[in-house]
Amino acid sequence: MVKPIKAVAAVALAGLALAACGGGSSGAAGDGGGKKVVISTDLPLQGASKDASDSTNNAIKLYLEQIGNKAGDYTVELKTYDNSTAAKGAWDDATCAKNAQEHVANTAEVAVMGTFNSGCAKIEVPVLNQDPTGPMLMVSHANTNPGLTKTWDPGEPQKYYPSGTRNYARVVTTDDYQGAAAAIYAQSKLGVKSVYILNDNQTYGQGVGKSFETKAAALGIKVIANEPWDAKQANYTALFNKINAAKPDMVYLAGIYDNNGGQLVKDKVAVLGDNAGAVKLMGPDGFTGYPELNKLPQAQGMYLTFAGLTTDQLKAGGGAAAKLLADYKAKYGVDPASNYALYGVAAVQVILAAIEKSDGSRKSVTEQVLAGTGVSIPADKAAIGKEIKIDPATGDTTAIDISVEVIKDNKETFVAAQTVS
Amino acid sequence: MATTTAAPGTAAAAAKAHSTNRKWAVGLLIAVVVIFLLYSQILPNAPADVQTFFRRWLSVSAVNEAVLWVVFALGLNIVVGYAGLLDLGYVAFWALGGYVAGWIMSPFASSMYKSWGGLKLSILGHPPAIEGLDTGIHVNFWLVLPIAGLFCALWGLIIGAPTLRLKSDYLALVTLGFGEIIPQILRNGERIGPNGVFNLSNGDKGISPVDPIPTWPVSYIPGVPDELALKASDLPYKFLVYCLLAAFTIFVSLRIREGRLGRAWLAIREDELAASMMGVPLMKTKLSAYAVGAFAGGLGGVAFATHVGGVFASRFDFAISITLLAMVVLGGMGNVWGVTIGALALAWINSTGLEQVGQQINSSFGTDIDFPSYQFLLFGLILILMMLFRREGLLPETRTRQVLQEPERGDLESVGADLEGEPV
Repeated sequence: MVKPIKAVAAVALAGLALAACGGGSSGAAGDGGGKKVVISTDLPLQGASKDASDSTNNAIKLYLEQIGNKAGDYTVELKTYDNSTAAKGAWDDATCAKNAQEHVANTAEVAVMGTFNSGCAKIEVPVLNQDPTGPMLMVSHANTNPGLTKTWDPGEPQKYYPSGTRNYARVVTTDDYQGAAAAIYAQSKLGVKSVYILNDNQTYGQGVGKSFETKAAALGIKVIANEPWDAKQANYTALFNKINAAKPDMVYLAGIYDNNGGQLVKDKVAVLGDNAGAVKLMGPDGFTGYPELNKLPQAQGMYLTFAGLTTDQLKAGGGAAAKLLADYKAKYGVDPASNYALYGVAAVQVILAAIEKSDGSRKSVTEQVLAGTGVSIPADKAAIGKEIKIDPATGDTTAIDISVEVIKDNKETFVAAQTVS
Repeated sequence: MATTTAAPGTAAAAAKAHSTNRKWAVGLLIAVVVIFLLYSQILPNAPADVQTFFRRWLSVSAVNEAVLWVVFALGLNIVVGYAGLLDLGYVAFWALGGYVAGWIMSPFASSMYKSWGGLKLSILGHPPAIEGLDTGIHVNFWLVLPIAGLFCALWGLIIGAPTLRLKSDYLALVTLGFGEIIPQILRNGERIGPNGVFNLSNGDKGISPVDPIPTWPVSYIPGVPDELALKASDLPYKFLVYCLLAAFTIFVSLRIREGRLGRAWLAIREDELAASMMGVPLMKTKLSAYAVGAFAGGLGGVAFATHVGGVFASRFDFAISITLLAMVVLGGMGNVWGVTIGALALAWINSTGLEQVGQQINSSFGTDIDFPSYQFLLFGLILILMMLFRREGLLPETRTRQVLQEPERGDLESVGADLEGEPV
């Protein structure tokens, strides 16, 4: 009994040792001349956000390939980080902290594209901010929580910038606009008179739910409740029976699909009927970019908002964005799984523009975006089909685009652009 | 429970145990010094590819996290390994410890209740030097540690009390219940009370930032920063702080085990009925196991909050309790060194190990397998293999090995032994 185990252990050890040696030799690739810089993406590569993250990484790789991995005089190399764990199937606080510390420790790295989740950004930004050679720039393609850049909860946003200098920017607009736009659309186009809001009790869900609630109430929509759903419940029949008694015109799901959103959508239809019927269903961008949701029969007719321009719009708009999408399809055989993929490219464009103007140091790269005149990408080059302009004072994008989509024929279909006053 | 070979409890066995402990302690101390020097002195000046290698395989933040896992695993080892009380809800103490840090080591206290808005209290504290964040309660990290430890110990008693009448599976279920309830309360604790006036935990948003770790009086040594926050250069020093906590937990575990209480725990673990007949007070002994185990959870919770820079409710789920239990079982239930090694190994596999080994395999064989996504598969496989071939863990305690190697009760009974007696 003992001998085979020892043999297995010896083989395993030998394997590990070999692997370790191999790691040493391949590690040399990161070394290079003074004109070489590394940028990284920091995304949840496991769990429900995997598809969205993979297509974002793929779109960025494709874009870098197309521009010959060049930003001005600099050669740019991409490194991908995963901020999720298999155990959670979602971003993880300790992994975010570890990634942030590794971004700082990797001296070749000058800027980070990410994160996908605002909660993770709130852990990483302060670490990057205190980088003694920085602060180090982070540009997010998907963080919509307002607190990262604006006065929101107590201590926000200054608590993310301990050094006193900003180092965070984003190319999407924030939830305070998204929730409001959803409410305006619901009232003006869908004729909703009363709404029942469910939130997933997370930072993002509560934020977008609150902004929807505030705007809805201001528009005269009756808000019956804004209450959390429990992501761990096996089914929501009881919850929807309760909602049914209140007879709302619409249920608004403020949260992310990862939090058992599929079951929620199924049970909504089972109890309250089809989404095209008396009770409409609407969700924020936390429900966009999930092929499995789109394929769900019960999800058909669900309205979604997206804090930017959708892939459909970008295709129709032509220009750089449409070309990139066509190339993406040619290379990978499918469309990007998420509207955020091209926003990932847009965030990389901001980073590259900053690198091009900089002296190659982290501090200088950050300053290009968050000091002086800031960075802008002209409309004919931008991956999102229109000019990207980052406000150097806050790091927010000046464009406020909210798109409304509906899930139809197993995919997200663009319906309208909604402006927010 | 004397057996033929070993005789734990004799003077010779005790002396042997002491010398083993000393060897382990010296060995780990040397490892700590080497790792510290490596990350603080050698690596920053090393060639780029050496740096890359270490960053990938063993980054300093992964090491820090692993050391904290050791603290938690040792705490659980007291409950599960020493006293034999199967606890599936240990994550609750991690959470409570973390939230103590959130409550008294951050600006958060000022937003807990409306009229506390202007609250500013600092007890040797180190509030962050950012405008508007000096409100709330800021207690010195070193004072928060015992406070959180005692707070968790108290909760250990509260959770332990209703479980006293239960054994094995039933006990496990009740602890599982508590392990789910406490994180749920914290996750939903943003608006508590009438009209939601009280903000207990800031809900899913979590509490950040927590104060840095002050290093006075060590900071008089040139080169040591005054406080350890989130700067990259602080990490090797944080490693020392976390190792200090782990060493404290190891020391307490070893010393308690030798003493009256520890022997009472082992007696309960091996035969509760016999222990109580021999005069071991079951209630007191079991409750103290929960309390001491929870104390370690409190220490670790505070330290983990400083590692991440805040407390975030989404961390505290069931998988954490299970991972900790696996660390204890794989390492060798009851053996402090075994659990330490088990925790370090599993923590490494979870953070960077599996991913790197996977990448290595992918690049060596030209495959494209997403190894981290098979983490639980491999994890389960390791558990199954261990249980089939080495039930007692990597480094088993002598006693555990003897117990596991004893013939099964059924075997003894089949040859005529009467173990049960008549029901009373």
